[in-house]
Formats: sequence, C-alpha cells, structure tokens
Amino acid sequence: MKSKVSPLVRVILVDDDRARASAVESRLREVGFDVLLVISTAAGLLYQMAQQEPDVVIIALDSPDRDVLESLSIASSHNPRPVVMFSEAGDQDFIGDAIRAGVTAYQAEDISPARVRAAVDIAIAQFSAFNELKQQLDDTRRQLADRKTIDKAKGLLMDLHGVAEDEAYATLRKLAMDKNKTLGETAGDVIAILEKAVSGRRPA
Amino acid sequence: MMDARRLAAAEKVQLKVGYLRLTDSAPLIVAQERGYYEKYGLQVNLQREVSWANLRDKLVIGELDAAQMLAPLPLATTLGVGGMRADMITGLALSLNGNAVTVSPGLSAGIAAHGGDASSSARSTALGLGEYLRSQPQKSQLTFASAHSFSCHTFLLQLWLRAGGIDPQRDVRIIVLPPEQMVDSLSRGVIDGFCVGEPWNSMAVQSGLGTVQATGYQIWNNAIEKVLGVTQQWHQHHPGAHLRLRLALMEACSWLAEPEHRDQCAHMLAQSCYLDIPVEILRPSLSGQFVLAKGGPALDMPHFHVFGRFQAGFPWRSDGEWLMQQAGELLGKSLSQEHIKSLVQQTYRTDLYREAARHLDLASPAGDYKPFNQHRQAWEMEPGMELGPDMQLCP
Repeated sequence: MKSKVSPLVRVILVDDDRARASAVESRLREVGFDVLLVISTAAGLLYQMAQQEPDVVIIALDSPDRDVLESLSIASSHNPRPVVMFSEAGDQDFIGDAIRAGVTAYQAEDISPARVRAAVDIAIAQFSAFNELKQQLDDTRRQLADRKTIDKAKGLLMDLHGVAEDEAYATLRKLAMDKNKTLGETAGDVIAILEKAVSGRRPA
Repeated sequence: MMDARRLAAAEKVQLKVGYLRLTDSAPLIVAQERGYYEKYGLQVNLQREVSWANLRDKLVIGELDAAQMLAPLPLATTLGVGGMRADMITGLALSLNGNAVTVSPGLSAGIAAHGGDASSSARSTALGLGEYLRSQPQKSQLTFASAHSFSCHTFLLQLWLRAGGIDPQRDVRIIVLPPEQMVDSLSRGVIDGFCVGEPWNSMAVQSGLGTVQATGYQIWNNAIEKVLGVTQQWHQHHPGAHLRLRLALMEACSWLAEPEHRDQCAHMLAQSCYLDIPVEILRPSLSGQFVLAKGGPALDMPHFHVFGRFQAGFPWRSDGEWLMQQAGELLGKSLSQEHIKSLVQQTYRTDLYREAARHLDLASPAGDYKPFNQHRQAWEMEPGMELGPDMQLCP
C-alpha cells in the first residue's frame, strides 16, 4: 500500500485545527511527502510562500486565506512560483469531494497534477474522518443530554402521578410514538408541561 | 405590490445563499429579517463564508444555490482566472459604493505633512501620498492590501494611487489579505494601508489603528460593488426560484433605500448569527455619517452605501466592461474589446433584471450601457429615471 512518492514534492499545510493538521501531516510523511510547514491562518502565508516555494499548498476551507493564495497566481512578478488550483484539468467530481470534505489545494504551475493527487487524496480522507468523528461526538453529546432529560421527565411523572419508573417510561414511549417524535424531544415537552402545571398549582 | 402566486413556481424552495462578513451583505440579511424570501415562497438558509474562493467553489459544485459576489468575480470566474472556471451570471446588482482606503497613523501623518487632507478630497490625499513617497529614500516601499485581486477594492486603490502620480505596479506593492486580517496587519506594520469594504475601515478608525484617506464614492461615484451571482447552469434549472430570489432582494434593497431604515439595519446585521460586530462600528457607513479618524467629526456621506436607488440593481454592461479592462491589465494580457464585450454580455444579464423589475412595476433602463465620468450631479437618463453622479478620479 505504501508506495513511496518522490520525496521532492514539498507541501505546506494551512489549517487552524491542530489535531486535524497533525493527522494529515503524519499520513503525508508516511507516504513520503516532504511537509515543509504546518501553519494556522494569518501566520504570514505570503512570506512563507516566498521563502519556502512549496509545490503544493493544502488548505482548509475554514481558513480565510484562499483568496490570498489565488492572488499569487496573478501577481506573479513578486512571486516566482505561481500557484494554480489543483485539478485545473477539470476533474469536477474530485474537486467536489474535496470541497465537501472541507479542504482544497493549490499547486505550483510546473508540477504535474498526478504527482500531487495522492497528497490531496490523503487530505480528503483525513478531513472526512475528522468530520465523521465530530458527527459521532455531537451524536454522543445529544444522547447524553437526551438521557438526562428523559430521567428528569420520568422523575416528574413518578412524583406527580405516583407511578413506578417502568410505567413512567412506558408513558413517555407511547407519547413519543403517538406524536412521532424522539424520546428526548417528548421528554422535553413533558417537562415543560408538568413544570408549568406544578408552578400554576403552587400558592403565590 | 405584487401577487407572488402569479409567478412561475420555484423549482426549489429551500435555498442556500452565501455571503461574507461585510456591511453590504445587508440586502441578503434584510430580506431574511423582513420576511421577503418567505413572501416569495422561498426558505433561505444564509451561509456565512470566510473567503470569496470558498463562495465561488461552493456555487460551482452546487453546495450553494446563489451568493453575494464582488462585481468582477462572476466575470473572472467565467473567464477562468485565479481559480476554478465556470460560467457565472448575475441578473441583479446588490449595492453601489461601500469601500474606503485606510492607512496607518504614521503614513497618515506623512500624507498630511505633504498637504493631504482627507476631509477635503481624495485627490488631495493621493497627491499628498505621491509627494510623501518622492520625499522618501529610494529603498522604502509601501505595501497596500486589497481584499481580492479581482475586486473594486483593487481597482479603486489603483485609481487613487494614479491620481497621486503613483504607479500601482512599480511604486508600491499591492497584496491580497482577508478583510478580517486587515486591521491587525495594519497595526503590526505588515501593511501600510488597505482598500476594503465596511465595517473594516470603521473598525480601524474606532480602534485608532488607521485613518480613512478616501472613500470609494470619492474615487468612483456610484460604482457597482456587489452582485447576486449564480452559475449559468443553476439558472437554467431554476429560473422560477432565481426570479423569486431576485424579487425578494429587490424589495430588501428598496427598503434599504430609505435612510430612516438604516439604523434598524445596523441592529439586524450586528446579531451574532450574521456579522457579529458591534452596532456602533456598523452605524457610521450605514447611517451616512462617516468618521475618517478616531475622535474626528462625522461627515455627511449619504451615498456611502447605495441600495435600491439610482438604478443600483441594474447590472450595467458598461460597468462590467470597465471592470474587465482593469482585470486584463492586472493579468498583464490585453483582452480584446470584442472578447470583453461578449464576456460581459454573457455574464451581466440585464434581461433578467428587466424581467424582475417588470414584476415589481419598476422602470428599468432601456439600454445596457451608460456613460461615466460625465455627471457631477445626479441626472435623468430617461424622464423620471434618476442616476447618480458617475465621476472617476483621474490622474
């Protein structure tokens, strides 16, 4: 699997997310890319471009520096190594995959796209993996929050209606199915209604 | 004004529309806050993007349906320079003016010492800068930043420099920086000045990190600034949704044309879900009471941003051609008159503007071209059709 590419392909990685950047960096190094620099945004990109003259720049879409990179391909009198967008050849699906994963790349004009494609593939894979992880984390957080809400709703039902825990839970499930909502949403509704009822009953 | 039910159905109801963190994204935000999208049967999800390149690429791959764009950007994208190529069109301009040139306090003092007075004219500060540069030892070179290569910011900055006898290519360095990094870069001395849209000039002024030397209005009165961009392909598949979107935005622009609505607009934009910027920083340019330097007086500039008046929504092909000539110079290749003309005809869709204007019972210009550099005052192009002054700062 680990076919070595030419060590001469020199990469600058621009990403504010340190964990994600280091994942991409280590995968790139594993397959033999020369990662010159990993920088976050606003870190003197123009200066680094002039100093390092990379063959490829891989840049996260959430970094605001893409217009800066594209300007280099125009104002070439100050920058001897103009960058052009990777996939100038017109591979729209590939560029779509990259953008949907949240990453894109630029390359020096004199480098063949085939030589840098592997680097961009790695970036796409790592960014996608991070997106998935983030999604899983969000799901887990929501499940935890749901569980707390459900417990609270159960407690209120048990207190106010004097029912056992399994009966309170069964009530919630039936409500959720009737209203075609998730258990968490239903629990939230039940809490709102019961708390209003309780506060209304209390003497002023 | 019109019955939305009589319009062709929207082929798609839920639209994703992109914008950048700039004051002149106001029409897109106002249309949301005032319910104009809803009125035309659309559910719009506004998406704030961090770069013009992101916005363009997401339009091209269909992640966005439509977006606010710099006026030259649909042309540059159709031409395929600086990034991904795709046929883009615009059938509606969203705003005129809205930019300014700001420099560091040090350079501002140098300009003033050589006779530049920002409260008097943009020519005065340009000449002051020219004198200042000639008084300096050969080696020092000033760096200015623009928000994008193909932007009115770049072209206005060049006009201003040339008016001071300065060659924008040789005598100074012009780089591109994201608007949000401009003020910080100015304070760290990475750049000496910038040309950018609001609120970033007022941000520099209010923090005492920069002073405004010229407004976009002074450099080119009523210049086209932002447009609504879509891909040609998207338009072909969604002509009904596109028309409804333009109508909603035209109503937002008409609402914004009333000066008494501008303060309310500043509050809408300030919200964390949109620009997330204090209302005091948004207010000077929107209210037309603009401040050039910290502690300085508010100057009356009612046309700092123009929305919905002076035929601001019309994508003038004459403006498009001027922008492309500038872009050609920047690329170091002269694009033929024929090429520019056909590119602009393909991209600036005046027919689409007229289609929408008819639905709103608004008059629209009969021709696609207008003269510029000829009117110092507002003037009537046709009976009852007022256009703004159109002077450009010349060397």
